[in-house]
Amino acid sequence: MSDIINLIIDGKSITAKSGDTILTAAEKNGIEIPNLCYIKEMSPYGACGMCVVEAEGMPKLLRACSAKVSEGMIINTKGERALKARRIALELLMGDHKGDCIGPCSLNCPAHTDCQKYVKEIGEGRFEDAVKTVKEVIALPASIGRVCPHPCETACRRQHVEEPISIAYLKAFAADEVLKSGKHILPEKKASTGKSVGIIGGGPAGLSAAFRLIGNGHSVTIYDKMPKMGGMLRYGIPEYRLPKAVLDTEIEEIRSLGVEMINSFTLGEDASLKDLSKKHDAILVANGAWKSSSIRCPGEELDGVFGGIDFLRAVALGEKPDIGKKTAVVGGGNTAMDACRTAVRLGAEEVSIIYRRTRDEMPAEDIEIEEAMEEGVIFRFLTNPSEIIGENGKVTAVKLQVMKLGEPDEKGRRSPVPVEGEFITLPLDSIIIAAGQKNDPSGFEEIETTKWGTILADEITYTTSIPGVFAAGDTTNSGASIAIKAIAEANEAAKYIDAYLDGIEIPYKKPVLSERTVTDDMFTEYEKHPRIKMPQRAPEDRRNDFTEINLGFNEEEAMQEAKRCLSCGCHDYGHCKLIKYADEYCTDCKKFSGEYHKGFIESKLEIITRDQNKCILCSLCVRTCEETAKKGILGLVGRGFDTIISPEFRNTDIRSICADCKKCVEVCPTGALKITE
Amino acid sequence: MRVVIGEGSCGIAAGAAKVHSKLHELLEGTDISVGIAGCIGMCFLEPIIDIYDEKTLLKRLVKVKEADAETIADALNKNDFEALKKYEISEDDSVFLSKQTRIALRRCGLIDPESIDAYTDDGGYSALKQVLTSMTPEEVIEEIKASGLAGRGGAGFPTWFKWNAARKSEGTEKYLICNADEGDPGAFMDRAVIESDPHTLIEGMLIGAYAIGASHAFVYVRAEYPLAIVRLQKAINEAMEKGYLGENILGTGFSCFLKIKAGAGAFVCGEETALIESLEGKRGMPRLKPPFPAEKGYENKPSNINNVETFANVAWIIENGGEAFSALGTENSKGTKVFALTGKIKRGGLVEIPMGLTLKEVIYDIGGGIRDNREFKAVQLGGPSGGCIPKELLDTVIDYKALSATGAIMGSGGMVVMDEGTCMVNMARFFLDFTTKESCGKCVHCRIGTKRMFEILTRITEGNGKEGDVELLEELCDGIRSGALCGLGQTAPNPVLTTIKYFRNEYEAHINEKRCPAGECATLRTYSIDAEKCKGCTLCSKKCPVNAISGVLKEAHAIDTEKCIKCGQCKEVCKFDAVEVK
Repeated sequence: MSDIINLIIDGKSITAKSGDTILTAAEKNGIEIPNLCYIKEMSPYGACGMCVVEAEGMPKLLRACSAKVSEGMIINTKGERALKARRIALELLMGDHKGDCIGPCSLNCPAHTDCQKYVKEIGEGRFEDAVKTVKEVIALPASIGRVCPHPCETACRRQHVEEPISIAYLKAFAADEVLKSGKHILPEKKASTGKSVGIIGGGPAGLSAAFRLIGNGHSVTIYDKMPKMGGMLRYGIPEYRLPKAVLDTEIEEIRSLGVEMINSFTLGEDASLKDLSKKHDAILVANGAWKSSSIRCPGEELDGVFGGIDFLRAVALGEKPDIGKKTAVVGGGNTAMDACRTAVRLGAEEVSIIYRRTRDEMPAEDIEIEEAMEEGVIFRFLTNPSEIIGENGKVTAVKLQVMKLGEPDEKGRRSPVPVEGEFITLPLDSIIIAAGQKNDPSGFEEIETTKWGTILADEITYTTSIPGVFAAGDTTNSGASIAIKAIAEANEAAKYIDAYLDGIEIPYKKPVLSERTVTDDMFTEYEKHPRIKMPQRAPEDRRNDFTEINLGFNEEEAMQEAKRCLSCGCHDYGHCKLIKYADEYCTDCKKFSGEYHKGFIESKLEIITRDQNKCILCSLCVRTCEETAKKGILGLVGRGFDTIISPEFRNTDIRSICADCKKCVEVCPTGALKITE
Repeated sequence: MRVVIGEGSCGIAAGAAKVHSKLHELLEGTDISVGIAGCIGMCFLEPIIDIYDEKTLLKRLVKVKEADAETIADALNKNDFEALKKYEISEDDSVFLSKQTRIALRRCGLIDPESIDAYTDDGGYSALKQVLTSMTPEEVIEEIKASGLAGRGGAGFPTWFKWNAARKSEGTEKYLICNADEGDPGAFMDRAVIESDPHTLIEGMLIGAYAIGASHAFVYVRAEYPLAIVRLQKAINEAMEKGYLGENILGTGFSCFLKIKAGAGAFVCGEETALIESLEGKRGMPRLKPPFPAEKGYENKPSNINNVETFANVAWIIENGGEAFSALGTENSKGTKVFALTGKIKRGGLVEIPMGLTLKEVIYDIGGGIRDNREFKAVQLGGPSGGCIPKELLDTVIDYKALSATGAIMGSGGMVVMDEGTCMVNMARFFLDFTTKESCGKCVHCRIGTKRMFEILTRITEGNGKEGDVELLEELCDGIRSGALCGLGQTAPNPVLTTIKYFRNEYEAHINEKRCPAGECATLRTYSIDAEKCKGCTLCSKKCPVNAISGVLKEAHAIDTEKCIKCGQCKEVCKFDAVEVK
């Protein structure tokens, strides 16, 4: 018999040595056959069922890791049956895999900032590294860290122990530390592409896109209507929350990269969209939503009626709007909180919040509500303006309809309904309507809009109806939202602008991820360490001026706070073979979900921590320990679905047998094994 | 005269040992001896006593109780059998044996399994003598080839082929293994052979060992068969003493040693490579094939594994010639096959029939049809690896190919008969419960896949089935069949696939109408009282553990369906058949 075997794999004629397995032969010829329980140093095992291939004339699938090549064999590694068996194997594994590929903090952040990573870096005192990590996503960490309503914290698992990690403030802390040291962490600029991008709007979206695009070698010009860059961060967020000096520094960092910034530019007057399109290779529209929404209440035209963001902008511009002694703010969101607290600082003696639901339903952040209360704002829940009353064209009072909460709807949300005939009249000198904001489409008439008048942008590629014109942030689709969402969109838009300028298309596929569903009782083993409270100026002091109310963490506080992180996201994400294949083959990873095998975390070997929840029983660790390390400490325990891998001879001192070679960790295809931290 | 009591595990369980000791006590000092035999296979008639005059069977008494011993002893002492008439097997029941053709079971229930003399007196070990003195190993393999004997453990692989492969495999150290890890629920023919005729197994194994060139052999028998282990060990000891086993057998120069290895109760160890792992002292998990055991088996040496029933046919084939065996059966299935006939059948037990009979003949002619005059619904063949066959296919002949075509398999011979009261979804769930628990946990498809199938079947039977569940099951079945590592996983979907194939409407009724057509799934049952039939005896309301039944004496009662936990006790106690189940 000849030593050389001729066979065909995926239509390619190849030769292999007699005795070779199909997998070896394929690998030698650059054909990849997926596998989870195989490494070439060890004898094949056959557990994962991923390496199955079709052989012509054979009814059964062959496991390529063990089936030997034979003369004239015709192998198809991508046949329908093989793909299906692999897909089902992966869907079964994923349905029984309890772990978070990515921490919920990062997943819930619209921009998917790697919170877990930078929190860890802060915990280790590596503040520069932390800022580097943040800047992969957020160009303005000191500013965003102060103002972000932090969806990351909303999702933080630590709240199942006691309270979420103070992720946003940690970010601000690290950024402040680095800025204080005079260091500027900026991306390394790639070689010039000779292409230029015009960005309309210098708010968080525009600045973020500029930061990305200039880093990628394009020249970037930002056109902004206002006298200074920063957008809503400057003109919508009061100084006491975000000192403009901090924002200025961060904008200057971006400018220092070479971004050209043109202010006091009005589209349609100084240049048209067409003009800009001619001047640049691509345009990003990120002009925000700057118009206050009306509440359609009689009397809105009276003197002394202000729009929420108009009011904040005026104050930011150094104007002193005449709000008199008694004012009220209509609305329950963050803008309403900013407005009422600004009114307090302008010297109003009585500031009320008029909100038609109760505190529980308020969309504003809890801390903002608390702080406003501390500063003396009166909250008039379950009231709604029915008429703004005026004399001689000037506001004198507001007539409030008393409301009550109706029956919960399908989503459990209770809508306010008027209590018939019950009204209160509140005497006022002015009233601020903070009931939302809209974009201003002037200058963008050529671009297709939504029925709400926002610019219609593709939610994946951020392209608009005009080729080469992209749009992101508050001005698009569903309208105004939080800064981090605008940043997220701008980052994505920048990616697609890049591709557009390079003339390539990026295919989009939502990555497959494993996510846990958790309950409080899963966190009982953790010791409680309450969240460190942000030191603040006293209410009676801070309500008199616009100086920042938060004093910031000191180093010790920040590091201590950061160490509370539970590190939910998997250390192996990025290397994990399971998720890589699941991403490639699965159509629905939850298809075969059901009860999970018993999962727990053990570290009997001390230096190695095993998360049974993530173990796929490939036994590579068991076999490595036996065949390579010659120790044989590990074994399979139990039967069937509840089989686990555990050190054998569980009652003896296995720690002393382990050679500390950590080879088991190296070969683990998932994040089930890690070196104990 | 000799009194012989059938004392297999089944007979003992029915009280045979007690009858034995009582008879022994009563007949001591007379010239009537009391002895034992193994199991004759008529489970429905145990305990059974055969009365012999020398070798002639005079009477066969059935369903004998300890209390009957005196009457029997008395009759025997008086040599007046009139009083025994009421114990005698009926003509009807005699059909159970007379319609069979026994090869593997030829001595079962007829000789003393604990005596090698009984075996040799009946011609035992003559085949071995013939083989060792006058045949080459190749000739033995040829004879087996001529017989057409196929593996009786389930897969039906030609025996000669495996023997030949092991024979031709390189190496001087080879092993012969008998798979007696009989694990299919409802199958017990291997146990019966070992308990009733252990030397037939030993002789068959020795012939096999000679054929492949092995000097060491193992019987891997499940630990749940203690009596089989004891009797087999006794047989091994006696065979060693008499020179049929061990060094230089019968002075021919051929040596072979036989050891028993008791399994620890894992079903998967019936899979040959998992069995070898277990034999080596490792965790019982299947190995990748290839290499096949004939190439690398026990201790990586060439090995051959056959099932008990397979070996039990070997000596007969040598004695009678391969052609005599192949004369029985069909074109592609030769000889006989033993079935364990159980379930809702009138006459349950071990049945050995020539291949080619129809299912109907076995179930109706031999088994006597369905108990309690109920309707036949389906028969499950091959246990958890097999499938069900519905009424319409009762004329299917027993033949490897014909059975596979239905979606079921020959398997090791479990034949579970079901009547109209059996819910097919619940039946599939039962088998998946079994395979889920018996999966070794090694490969993904079986470990997680069977669990998911079990979960889906459970929710269907509990009335929580969702639209698309049947399709989901089918997808899983397909994936597991093609992806699982060993036979256990690859065949685990069979009960589900066949019940879907033949009884899809039952799945749909559970899912769409939340109804169990067979009325077996408790959570889907509704109990009510027929006011016409109810006499108001109050028995049911007294029995109801949750006080769900209300009504006054002599007036019709009613069940509060909200409170009812569907335990069925009301129906059981009602003397007027007034409780209805839907």
